[in-house]
Amino acid sequence: MKSLPLKNLSGKPVRTAVLIIIAALLSFTMLAGGLVVTSLRSGLSSLEDRLGADIMVVPYEATTKSNLENIVLQGSTGSFYMDMSRAEKVHTVEGIGRISDQFFLASTKSDCCSIPVQIIGFDPETDFTITPWIRRSGGNELGLFDVVVGNDLNAFVGDTMYFYGIECNVAAKLDKTGTSYDTTVFTNEETVKVLLKACIESGINKFESLDPDNSTSCILIDPDSEHTAEEIVNDINLHVKKVRAIQTKEMISGISDGLGGISDMTGWLVAAVWLLGLVILLLVFTMSVNERKKEFAVLRVIGASRSRLAGIVMQEALVTGAAGSLIGAAAGLLVIIPFSGAIEEKLSMPFLTPPTGTAAVYALAAVLLSAVICAGAAAVSAFRMSRIDTAVILRGDN
Amino acid sequence: MKNSRSTNAAGIAMIIVGAILCIGVKAVFHACGAKDDGTFMNCHNAENAAAVLGAAMMILSAFSLFIRKKGVRICTAALTAAAGIFAAVIPNNVIHLCMMESMRCHAVMRPAVIICGIIGAAVSVLFIISVLLSRSAEGEK
Repeated sequence: MKSLPLKNLSGKPVRTAVLIIIAALLSFTMLAGGLVVTSLRSGLSSLEDRLGADIMVVPYEATTKSNLENIVLQGSTGSFYMDMSRAEKVHTVEGIGRISDQFFLASTKSDCCSIPVQIIGFDPETDFTITPWIRRSGGNELGLFDVVVGNDLNAFVGDTMYFYGIECNVAAKLDKTGTSYDTTVFTNEETVKVLLKACIESGINKFESLDPDNSTSCILIDPDSEHTAEEIVNDINLHVKKVRAIQTKEMISGISDGLGGISDMTGWLVAAVWLLGLVILLLVFTMSVNERKKEFAVLRVIGASRSRLAGIVMQEALVTGAAGSLIGAAAGLLVIIPFSGAIEEKLSMPFLTPPTGTAAVYALAAVLLSAVICAGAAAVSAFRMSRIDTAVILRGDN
Repeated sequence: MKNSRSTNAAGIAMIIVGAILCIGVKAVFHACGAKDDGTFMNCHNAENAAAVLGAAMMILSAFSLFIRKKGVRICTAALTAAAGIFAAVIPNNVIHLCMMESMRCHAVMRPAVIICGIIGAAVSVLFIISVLLSRSAEGEK
């Protein structure tokens, strides 16, 4: 009698397969949907952290060519420069708490791949956005020709990279952020200016009129405690010509809106699949119990209690639910975790998958939830079946 | 000797996984495309190696399924498992892939080849277990 549920399942392979597939689908959609939404939210939060400053000041041409957001948010390579006279005016604006210059340079094709990388040079003495991140990733102060690489670059500490024919040493590799910064190379201002001079000498880019020692690409600002970011942005945009100050939260508002849309859509999709799955499970268990009424009546005649019959139905549901949920969760993990890079590319949004422990908790929750749903759907049929009148069934009146 | 149902299922699964790896790595989850000058990057070599190993898995699996001698069947299935594991470690460990992990060879080809390789190896081990169990069952008879 104890092995009866398993024998019942192996005796009806098609029904068992259908139940396992439905449970797998419930678990898969729950886990995959949850992981995608969580990864997108983590990516956005990581991007906010990495932008690190409340205000970004760039040359006006950078905003009119609309390449600023592509460089900062989408990981496109590009460069724009303003001369130091404009930058110095920005530095004198009232209400600035922290301020640091950054220098952008796009590399040419690297020796191993056809895609150029974005190089960002920062001033170690004033920087407040990249240095803490480098320290968290185990890096120290950077010397001349030392570079720090983003997590998605296939280079490691001690490796050598060449930019415009100049040999650079990889001093540290940054933690994963799920943003375009994962494919960026960071170095100090001194190194990036040497690289820019090499770039100008090579004649690859049209920067002949540019003086690397008297230029910068972008100024990052945090307001002091007495001023708001909005006040400083307005002040700079009104009083400093040929530059544009932008609040970084405005830059990521588009991504934030897109994320809201994807979250809502995923939520509705998961809800629809679960509703459909629940209806199918209820139908399958109801039909199954109806066609097995005589089988259960015979079991009652040979001495099985009503609770034992209900237990058989529940055990069958739990076994199929657990097996299907495990398969679905495994499939969900295999699709989302290894292919996170491809998903990030397709969505064009920051995408940071949760750590292994968190993903395992999500998987466990998905397995438990879909197994419980299967058991719940079976419980309705089990309750109805436990109330059958054995005599009526065996007489064939029902 | 007739194959048991589980042996047949595992053998056919081995052939299917080999075919998915061989054809898929060239047609679906292929590496990065050609550069502007028409030459290919290093990841193309990893793609070719994975396709060859997928073809080898297919042929070895067919041998395992149809050959009668049990010792040879187990050996060919073990070779299939080894080919699967080798295919899984090829991208970026044996043959280096491109610079950025956001590139197609890292984002699509590598995980797909690793999954196919590991599943192929796992199915081959199941095939070996199934053949060994059928032998011991026959011995008991």
